[in-house]
Amino acid sequence: MADASFAAGAAAAGGAPVPVDAPAKLQYVCGNCNALNNIKPREPVRCRACGYRILYKMRTTRLTQYEAR
Amino acid sequence: MDDLRLLKKLGEGSYAVVFEAQDRAGTRFAVKQLKDAPASWAECVRQPEIAALRKVQHRNVLRLHRLVVVGDSASAGKSSVLLVSELLEADLFESLEAMHLRAQRPRPEHIRWLGRELLSGLSAIHEAGVLHRDLKPENVMLAGPGSPSGCAAKLVDFGQAKDVRSAKARRADWTAYVATRWYRAPELLLGAARYTGAVDVWACGVLLAEALTGRPVFPGDSPSNQLFKIAATLGAPQTSWPDAPRIAAAAGRLPVLQEHNSGGRGPMAAAAAAAVADPAGEGVDPKRAAEAARAFADEDASVLARPVATLEDKWKLLPAFLAVRGLVRQHVESYDHFIEEELEQIIKANSMIRSEADPRFFLEYTGVSVGRPSIEQDLMESDVTPHECRLRDLTYSAPIRVNVRYTRGRQIVRHNGVLIGRVPVMLRSCRCVLRGKSDAELAPLQECPYDPGGYFVVKGCEKVILTQEQLSKNRIIVELDPKGAVSASVTSSTHERKSRTVITTKHGRIHLKHNTIGDDVPVVAVLRAMGVTSDQEIVQLVGSEPELQDALAPSLEETLELGILTQAQALEYIGARIRARRASSALVGMQGGPSASSYSRRDEALNVLSTVVLSHVPTEGDAFRSKRIYLALMVRRVLLTQLGRSDLDDKDYYGNKRLELAGQLLSLLFEDLFKRFNSDLRRAADAVLSKPNRAAAFDVINSVRTDTITMGMTQALSTGNWTLKRFRMERAGVTQQLSRLSYISALGMMTRVTSQFEKTRKVSGPRALQPSQWGMLCPSDTPEGEACGLVKNLALLAHVTSDRDPEPVRRLCFDMGVEDAECLCGEELHGGAYLVFLNGLLLGAHRRPYDFAKAFRIFRRAGILGEFVSVYVHDGLRAVNIASDGGRICRPVVVVEQGQPRLTARHMRDLAAGLVDFNSLLSTGVLEYLDVNEENNCLIALREADITRATTHLEIDPVTILGVVAGLIPYPHHNQSPRNTYQCAMGKQAMGTIARNQFERIDTVLYLMVYPQKPMVRTRVIDMIGFDEIPAGQNAIISVMSYSGYDIEDAIVLNKASLDRGYGRCLVMKKFMTTIRKYPNQTYDRIVGKPLEDDLPADMPASTRRQVERLSAIDEDGLPMVGEDVKPGGVLVNKQMPANTTDHFDNPDLPPDGYKPAPLSYKGAEKGFVDRVMLSSTTADTTLIKVLMRQVRRPELGDKFSSRHGQKGVCGLIVPQTDLPFTDEGVCPDMIMNPHGFPSRMTVGKMIELIAGKAGLQDGKRRYGTAFGGDRVVDISAALVRAGYHYAGKEVLTSGITGEPLKGYVFFGPIYYQKLKHMVMDKMHARARGPRAVLTRQPTEGRSRDGGLRLGEMERDCLIGYGASMLLLERLMISSDEFQAEVCTSTECGGLLSYGGWCQFCRSGRHVRKVRMPYACKLLFQELQAMNICPRLTLEPL
Repeated sequence: MADASFAAGAAAAGGAPVPVDAPAKLQYVCGNCNALNNIKPREPVRCRACGYRILYKMRTTRLTQYEAR
Repeated sequence: MDDLRLLKKLGEGSYAVVFEAQDRAGTRFAVKQLKDAPASWAECVRQPEIAALRKVQHRNVLRLHRLVVVGDSASAGKSSVLLVSELLEADLFESLEAMHLRAQRPRPEHIRWLGRELLSGLSAIHEAGVLHRDLKPENVMLAGPGSPSGCAAKLVDFGQAKDVRSAKARRADWTAYVATRWYRAPELLLGAARYTGAVDVWACGVLLAEALTGRPVFPGDSPSNQLFKIAATLGAPQTSWPDAPRIAAAAGRLPVLQEHNSGGRGPMAAAAAAAVADPAGEGVDPKRAAEAARAFADEDASVLARPVATLEDKWKLLPAFLAVRGLVRQHVESYDHFIEEELEQIIKANSMIRSEADPRFFLEYTGVSVGRPSIEQDLMESDVTPHECRLRDLTYSAPIRVNVRYTRGRQIVRHNGVLIGRVPVMLRSCRCVLRGKSDAELAPLQECPYDPGGYFVVKGCEKVILTQEQLSKNRIIVELDPKGAVSASVTSSTHERKSRTVITTKHGRIHLKHNTIGDDVPVVAVLRAMGVTSDQEIVQLVGSEPELQDALAPSLEETLELGILTQAQALEYIGARIRARRASSALVGMQGGPSASSYSRRDEALNVLSTVVLSHVPTEGDAFRSKRIYLALMVRRVLLTQLGRSDLDDKDYYGNKRLELAGQLLSLLFEDLFKRFNSDLRRAADAVLSKPNRAAAFDVINSVRTDTITMGMTQALSTGNWTLKRFRMERAGVTQQLSRLSYISALGMMTRVTSQFEKTRKVSGPRALQPSQWGMLCPSDTPEGEACGLVKNLALLAHVTSDRDPEPVRRLCFDMGVEDAECLCGEELHGGAYLVFLNGLLLGAHRRPYDFAKAFRIFRRAGILGEFVSVYVHDGLRAVNIASDGGRICRPVVVVEQGQPRLTARHMRDLAAGLVDFNSLLSTGVLEYLDVNEENNCLIALREADITRATTHLEIDPVTILGVVAGLIPYPHHNQSPRNTYQCAMGKQAMGTIARNQFERIDTVLYLMVYPQKPMVRTRVIDMIGFDEIPAGQNAIISVMSYSGYDIEDAIVLNKASLDRGYGRCLVMKKFMTTIRKYPNQTYDRIVGKPLEDDLPADMPASTRRQVERLSAIDEDGLPMVGEDVKPGGVLVNKQMPANTTDHFDNPDLPPDGYKPAPLSYKGAEKGFVDRVMLSSTTADTTLIKVLMRQVRRPELGDKFSSRHGQKGVCGLIVPQTDLPFTDEGVCPDMIMNPHGFPSRMTVGKMIELIAGKAGLQDGKRRYGTAFGGDRVVDISAALVRAGYHYAGKEVLTSGITGEPLKGYVFFGPIYYQKLKHMVMDKMHARARGPRAVLTRQPTEGRSRDGGLRLGEMERDCLIGYGASMLLLERLMISSDEFQAEVCTSTECGGLLSYGGWCQFCRSGRHVRKVRMPYACKLLFQELQAMNICPRLTLEPL
């Protein structure tokens, strides 16, 4: 599969493996209390403030462009 | 006196008797004899009646010929006074009644004549100073043309007359207690001490209005109610009659009347105004009043013809009904019934578990409760909301806990709150967190206030249990069996078993058929077996009418021939024919003895007869008594039908149907699962207890497994397979996923009723619309095609009953004089009395069935019985049927008594003010529920005007025959009926707002409209269901004309500028989902972030570059960035899976090459935007990632649109606004529709919608197009004309291309158009080369797999016919699955397939030849070989 060759290649060619742990700046909004949370892999998804188990990813900070037809 | 001969009595009142008399000359007179004889002649002539009649001589007043005093004037007791007057033909009351019966109405000119007659009579008596004070139809006599005075109306009965000029009248107060209530003037009602001739004029006006409309105008049931009725029609007394408060105050009464805003002033207004024009002063001014009233009588007929005092606002009951019961009341109610009652009954019925291993062991359930909806996570139970379940793919369920008593070792232990499983919770049911929440409270729960509830959330999917329609259980149905013989069948259904018993005839002999008994058994034998030994008793039970006796004779003889004379012989006979030997018989047989087999056989027959045959008939006390009677009744029904004395039952008649709802289905399922749960528990107990030595005392609680019930419930709900072991029932498709295409589709799904009938059967009966479905099922809303007529929808007000305990009904029946069947012999049962049945079981007999039914209804209206208990008298079968069972369909109607609806304007006002609700109207007997059967005993008037004395009920509103979906259509009564059916199907596909929480939802696919609008033409139903708040469509300005030729075949032309402004723009949201799993070997999936730019080599090969580009939307956490665009094929979640998920690793963090990529990629034709990325976890510790992708689409060529009249069309052309025609105001259409769409479709409703909408645009008021009502076309046209438009909505258009006016007028205005979900973008598909199926090597099928376009057999036939053989070869083989096969041509093997140039059979490669054939052909040969069939190929040179 093409994907396999790429993923293995990128990791091998790039030397440093891709960080699996998301950096702290990536935050997720709680669906209940709107608190910002960090998520670690293999930890249950849960808001630290209210214990709600649905988190949403925040909107991109990148510039986005929409066609307004 | 001697010259008068009394002929006959004409009538009798409380004061007098009237006779018809004749004198010697033959002239006939009316003679009135007063009951209270006056003491003297002087007193006699002072009597008001006599005085008045003597005073006035007028054409319109009864003429008194003479006064006769008979008897001895000295002894007062015996004398009497006779008033001899002219004999008149009929009174007004009788003649109006007669006309009404002939469905005639007096014409306005008649009324005017009557008015003149009465008023001239009145003015004559008023001039003489006499007030009649009791004017009513009964007191107006009509003289025919033959009478001396010619045609005339005459005032009679001056019994309450008053001479206002008498001295006494001047001094004392006058009593206000005069006149009959319905004709009492307001001042009398208010208790005025002085009044004028106006009271007579008032009564005259009321009388005239009544004569005109055919029914009483102000039928009050009490003085205050009378006042309300008057005020409701004529307006507040403050405005129409300023003196009212003063009069009321003077009479010591507070004015009960408040300002009441009623626009409808009938013809009464003028009369009343005239009547009260004279302030209640001293003198009588009859002239003025009479003049005014006479002017009224001369008034134009059109004013008089207006309807009077109808309850125009009766439809307001509908929202009141919906407010109390909700749109999906039947589902919620049945579920509540299951949770609150049936659950406990089931637990109680199966409350004991014992073990065979240990007789001391037992477990007993002592109580059950269902908790709040919750989920169990991390070993904790926490409350949950439905929306959280949807998002997290959970099941919205509540724990079932029981209290138990059981033995542990030697002690008895009690344990409370043991969890036995979870039951899914229906939304908005009694256990749901949403129950009773206000809109504001629903918002934080992320729930839509318009959502009807009634469905379940199972594993994140919304599931609906569809209502199932079945033939009613436990009722006798007489039908023709397949052989054409008359048979009576009963499907008995109890909690334990279901069985069917059939009584059928063969060669004139009556037999019983049952599936536990092998052969058909003579029914007489069965009766004998049940203990009726004498032939006489059998005949009497069936009925001793001579014909019945004759018909029964062959059956009696048959048993004689068979030698069945005693109960023992009969039991023996039946026992020998019982199919499956039962476990009990084996046990009995083991006891041994010579007669064991015959004993057990008898015993078995007795057992089968008492528990299996007709199992719903109880066998207690005198064991078989009721069963015998029941069986005999079935025989009687068969015989009566054979003799033609009664009819076959109609299976399609809706009274013979029962609807099975969510609660009932769940209760069946739960009982099955609970029994399985108990047997599992027993087995576990047996296993442990049978072991001799145990370390610790066995605690049965530890072996409770909650999965049986929890999984059983969720599985059944999510797959829709209802498997019941008890009934050997296997039903598929019971549940369906709630369609969220639009709000309407969700609502439509909740009201759906599916039939258990086979769809393939070619019978029209079950599919046809039955008259008994009126008001119960929507006549329009049914699918087209195979399920047509089998899938139905409930009407707006239809309600499905739940089971109700029949015991109180039973007791009441006996209290009301039903003679218990147990105490009656056959002769008495079938004598004169009517049989009384309760839920199909014979209760007894009653001699006065109609009185009984009437009393029964009175009790129901008084709220003593349940409102859904129904009673009806069946004259054909001489039976009174009472039903309290569940699944009957019924509807509310207004009760009418003595020609008067009990619902009054006052009720409506109280309803609007919130003082009463629908339920209180029910409990006060103003409204009541009727089921299909009871409707047969009722005469339900459609409108108030149709009410006669025989009417028993009044429809709430004719719209209620339609369902929710058909209720959206404006003016449906002007459309051809199939068009409404088409719209019902299309309304469910319209895009719009789905719910208030639509942006919080993550559905697989969600179609939303960007700028939805409220329709310009609405209906009452739209108001009620809140469609205005979450609409699905837009008001397009359409012009009905031909344009460009791209509008043929229903295609529409769209304005490009409209599209730019946002017309028809929609959002398509798609869900993409993946999970991050942990595997048994402790490895786990991982998400990998996007590689950094620096890490990528500069000289990437093109393929790698493409791979990197696919990751463009991925963030550092491996998830897409919200708001980014993703191209088709782009990666949404860059997931990697461990390559090995089985072997154990010491370190679960695998090296990078231990993973293989498993990305979640975006599939779509066009790029989309990431709308939401949700992370959560299901209960098992897997992380759930849902990505919602959004597309904004503007209409394009080929997108489908439809109006609300079943007129669909695709967009054929998009035209720049510059080229479109425009009106003289510069208005340009959004859409052009071809006029050819109208003539063949006959959707007149659409045209009316257009002009109604156009009129609405002029004054800013949206119009009503409610079915069988709504705004009238004349009013709409008038509004258009007022605004300066053509009355029919036509306009002059100017061509946008040539600039010249178009020839002819163009129909132009707004119509509400729906954009349907079928869009070209989702359908567009083409392929030259592409993927092939692995097995056949042929191109894949379907757009989703990028499949090929099939050249089907019909296309193939064309090519064969044309002889294009090479094209065929190319299409069917070369471009499909061409294959180079190898065939051995040697004679040895005779043409077997060979592989790799080597024939395995010949062991040589010499004769192998290459052949081109389809791969499928090669596959066939191989498959044949595998089946031991040897295909051989014979090759010939070309």
